[in-house]
Amino acid sequence: MSMFEGIPVEVGVIYEGERIRRKDMYVELGGPEQETKFELVRAKGLDEVEDEKITVIGPDIKDVKEGSSIPLGIYVEVAGKDVEEELEGVIERRIHEYCNFIEGLMHLNQRYDIWLRLNKKSFQKGLNSFNYIGKVLTKLYKSELPFIEKIQITFITDPDKVRGMWKEALSIYEARDAKARGMKDEEVDAFYGCTLCQSFAPTHVCVITPQRYSNCGSISWFDGRASARVDPKGPVFAIEKGEMIDTEKGEYSGVNEVVKKKSLGAVNRVWLYTGFGYPHTSCGCFEAVAFYIPEVDGFGIVDRGFKDVTVNGLPFSTLADSTAGGRQIDGFHGISVEYMRSPKFLQVDGGWNRIVWMPSSVKERVKDFIPKEVVDKIATENDSKTVDELRAFLKDHEHPVVQQWKEVPVEAAPEVEEALAASTIPLSTTAIAAGGFKIILKNAKIHAEKLIIKREKAKR
Amino acid sequence: MAKKALFVKAKELKTDVAVIKDLEVSIGRIFDETWTEPVGPTPFPSITDLREWDFKLLQRYKPMYMPFCDLCCLCTFGKCDLTKDKRGACGLNMAGQQSRIVLIACCIGAATHLGHARHMVDHLIEKFGRRYPLDVGGVNVQLEAPITRLVCGVRPRTLGDLEDVVDYLEDQVTHLLSATHTGQEGSNLDFESKVFHAGMVDHVALEVADIAQIAAYNFPKADPEAPLVELGYGTIETHKPVIMVVGHNVISSVGIIDYLKENDLYADVEVTGLCCTAHDTTRYSSRAKIVGPISWQLRFIRSGIPDVIVLDEQCIRADTLVEAQKIKAPVIVTSDKNCQGLQNRTKDPADEIVADLVNGKVPGVLILDSEKAGEVASRTALEIAPKRKKFKVIPTVKEIIEAAKKCKLCNDCIRACPEGLLIPEAMREAAAGNLQLLVDLYETCIGCARCESACPNDFPIHSFIVAAAEKILKGEKFKIQAGRGAIQDVEIRNVGSPIVLGEIPGVVAFVGCANYPHGGIEVAEMCKEFADRRFIVVLSGCSAMSAAMYKDEEGKTLYEKYPGDFDAGGIVNVGSCVANAHIAGAAIKIANIFAKRNLRANYEEIADYIHNRVGAVGVAWGAMSQKAAAIAAGCWRLGIPVIVGPHGSKYRRMLLGRKDHEEDWYVYDARTGDRVYVGPVPEHLFYTAETKEEAMVIIAKLCMRANDTSKGRAIKLTHYIDLHKRLYGTMPDDIHLFVRTVTDIPITMKDEILDILKKKGWKEGRIPDPTLLPRLIRKMKE
Repeated sequence: MSMFEGIPVEVGVIYEGERIRRKDMYVELGGPEQETKFELVRAKGLDEVEDEKITVIGPDIKDVKEGSSIPLGIYVEVAGKDVEEELEGVIERRIHEYCNFIEGLMHLNQRYDIWLRLNKKSFQKGLNSFNYIGKVLTKLYKSELPFIEKIQITFITDPDKVRGMWKEALSIYEARDAKARGMKDEEVDAFYGCTLCQSFAPTHVCVITPQRYSNCGSISWFDGRASARVDPKGPVFAIEKGEMIDTEKGEYSGVNEVVKKKSLGAVNRVWLYTGFGYPHTSCGCFEAVAFYIPEVDGFGIVDRGFKDVTVNGLPFSTLADSTAGGRQIDGFHGISVEYMRSPKFLQVDGGWNRIVWMPSSVKERVKDFIPKEVVDKIATENDSKTVDELRAFLKDHEHPVVQQWKEVPVEAAPEVEEALAASTIPLSTTAIAAGGFKIILKNAKIHAEKLIIKREKAKR
Repeated sequence: MAKKALFVKAKELKTDVAVIKDLEVSIGRIFDETWTEPVGPTPFPSITDLREWDFKLLQRYKPMYMPFCDLCCLCTFGKCDLTKDKRGACGLNMAGQQSRIVLIACCIGAATHLGHARHMVDHLIEKFGRRYPLDVGGVNVQLEAPITRLVCGVRPRTLGDLEDVVDYLEDQVTHLLSATHTGQEGSNLDFESKVFHAGMVDHVALEVADIAQIAAYNFPKADPEAPLVELGYGTIETHKPVIMVVGHNVISSVGIIDYLKENDLYADVEVTGLCCTAHDTTRYSSRAKIVGPISWQLRFIRSGIPDVIVLDEQCIRADTLVEAQKIKAPVIVTSDKNCQGLQNRTKDPADEIVADLVNGKVPGVLILDSEKAGEVASRTALEIAPKRKKFKVIPTVKEIIEAAKKCKLCNDCIRACPEGLLIPEAMREAAAGNLQLLVDLYETCIGCARCESACPNDFPIHSFIVAAAEKILKGEKFKIQAGRGAIQDVEIRNVGSPIVLGEIPGVVAFVGCANYPHGGIEVAEMCKEFADRRFIVVLSGCSAMSAAMYKDEEGKTLYEKYPGDFDAGGIVNVGSCVANAHIAGAAIKIANIFAKRNLRANYEEIADYIHNRVGAVGVAWGAMSQKAAAIAAGCWRLGIPVIVGPHGSKYRRMLLGRKDHEEDWYVYDARTGDRVYVGPVPEHLFYTAETKEEAMVIIAKLCMRANDTSKGRAIKLTHYIDLHKRLYGTMPDDIHLFVRTVTDIPITMKDEILDILKKKGWKEGRIPDPTLLPRLIRKMKE
């Protein structure tokens, strides 16, 4: 028996990528032509929600003219013993995913920016009421997030009602964001671990805290909390923090224990907020790499989208290669973009005061989170293309790292050792005179079986 | 990596302090060990070094033989009948003989790519020097030669470094071929292991040939935005002299383009080609054009458009010279492997050769010097074009109808046709003045002209079809993205996460020849289907061309519509046959870049990784050649499944898994050492599909791997079930074998599938860290 008995169109993951162009659309809901639109999930008490109730306030799909654009609010109220306010955002984002499963319905963006289109074909098949969409959402929510015991959904298209609720929604988003950004590691009992990438990088364990996003940038502490609840045996799990060993470095006994277990002992200690010592490992899908530049004693950052070489002459791929695969490598650190917005970002190493170079595109994205006094002192590819140029830039702009340059570290040049593994020197005539010497070699044959060229380990 | 030897000789050196006479310094081998990656267990593996790994795969995917011929006629003991468990005079049985023929085919294929690679490396070294760097993608490709690193354990940095690799490969092919002599290998499984070895050797050869030409000729370097170039008969500017190049080795075509450019003649002459040489000319110069795949050879020659035909090597019709003479176009052959009985004029002055060709004194010449061939071809084309006036041998409609009236409807043509096309019916209609059925044949005809040889009336049936469809032929104007070469390291990293999380359900490579059962459109349709489903679609060779030959309602080809990135929903043309190396290379790079597994001479571990984790599938819908067999064999050893079209059954054996044999589908969990049942993933290693529909369902199915995360498995299952429902009209009957835990179930089908699981008595399993190699079981570190 199908899950979607009575729904006039197909529902499936394969419709996710569907794009609906204007000429094919029956109706547009929200989108750029509408100022007011929103989707909002709220956690409610069990007695406040009437399970599986669907309400439409304002004209339903079948009541609007073909080709028109109307405002829309989707208001979802959920209740359950384990449903909590913190999970609202996570639940809310599923609206996007679930709507897109519906054949002929396209959902873009989220929150106050939603943009839906229903195509003519699906309308003709009978998808002419929000009730159907509501039923699909209800079914998927309850099947996928079983901690939701009760759910009721309201679709609002009446312009005045949408506007009224829209204002309220905006203030809720704002409060939610402020709370999330202000949330500290110290305030929660549990972090979340993710071993999804272990299928590719078997010793990597992501530790996700309120102040440290997953390396891939796609799992927040809230997401982790929801996932762990939905599938307790799954790849995302709770980590009891245990004893706080070092608050500055971000070392917790619980984290160490779990990481040791999950990495089969490959990693025994993790310092969450530094690129040195026992840095958090990197999978392969991190969004960016923070890399130490010894010549200036600072960190550069490069993201995956940056196509050129970085200031030290190496491209993202090489730098990524230095840290990927679940290893702890001093001075190379896989990170997410969101982590750069965290107040604990590389705090042991000096945080933003230690960042000396980053691509302009990433800088733009996180600009508001870089302390004002240092933001203009961080070079981009437009300022410096080599370490020498970078050094000059930092000096000119009085970057905080310049204070540390009492002694400029000297880089050890790699030495080439030429070892003659086996050599025969048959000399028929040899005359070597010492002191004001003269060498005479006749019929000299030098043969080496092998010549091995080795690089000596760079001295630090 | 290094050169073989260093030898310095000085007759006499005199300085203030020393007099040295007859000094000789020689060094046997120089090993550059600045590459710090540790050497794995199998550098430059011998033909038995990876036998155990092969046997692991062959245990799971037991060879199923489909003798194309029941006899063995290789030695003078024979012919020996091998049916009903009989053994031949040498003692070999049917399984042994079939696997032996497979090995011979794969050796031919590998030797062909290898001969090509050797020629390319030698030629480029002569032109650019041994120290010429192998840049295949600038800063975005650090891993320049993943297959070579994996197999040989060396890291080639310069053209000269490739020589050692080619030496090794040549040595291997010699040993492999020797195993097929009468009274050598007797076990079919050992023959099969050697087949895998031949395939692996082939992949290295592909890589050597392609990275050498990319670097030296400055082809697009791992460029997702490689230029769109023109493809199709209709794109050729027929008022110009036309040089037609055919084959796979672009060296002589480069000679032509260089000559034309240097003499400022490039705007006056069309350089156009068929098969992989055409791919590579467009990689060299985006002004060059592609006529089409192999099946367009005859129709293009007979059209009279080419003024000069230049042949290099591989997949060239053996009767090209005969056909060329019909349209009075001279032929220049340029490869020592394909001399066509023509006189070697390499040392003669160009003026003389041009004069002889233009005056028709000789029908063609052999020139084994690409620069001279380039000059002769260009000058001949310019001089002969006004004389030939595009002389063609395509019949008029009237002639076709007249001939059709004489057709005896004996059906010899239909029996001769590899596709069983209904030619007699079309002739009967043509006799009545209706050419539409002949027109319809055009789309499915593979241009082999076996019908003509069979016809008792000696009718040029292929020409009838082409003439009837003239409008279609002339309307063939398409865009294809020039072969981009390698996949960037950073692209691999980008797709790592969505592959892990299951958002990209698989990588499907459409490769190989144009022996399509129902025409090239099926390749295009399959590409579109899987790109729309957000798979990564990769193409090469004739398949890449066929995929370009169909437009959507807006008049756009797949290459114009879909991005050329190695990413979900991308349609990626890597280039010619030798560029297939980048497809296998991408799978290898996932293991190295994403999971940080060592590549260097670490074949078994990487193959185990790919087999259990990377949802890649190769599809050779029109597989025809021995080269295609060798390429497939290289995929098998990496544990990558290959699907071929119905003609692929003529490769004589399949490697089929048995989903009903539970014991075949256990792996070790590398975290615990437990043996864990993972279901039949991937179910087959070599499979022939009879229809496009069957192929599509099996492609989706073979993308499943033992390590799929639940989300990934759910998405893969969704595609498998959806395609099965749509194309067969039913639910698959084996869903329960692919669901390990409830979270694997596609979320929109949960109720339905839970019902099925219940009926099948399904029990929950688990998702291991899978490996077939006990040595990879990890121990808890203290």
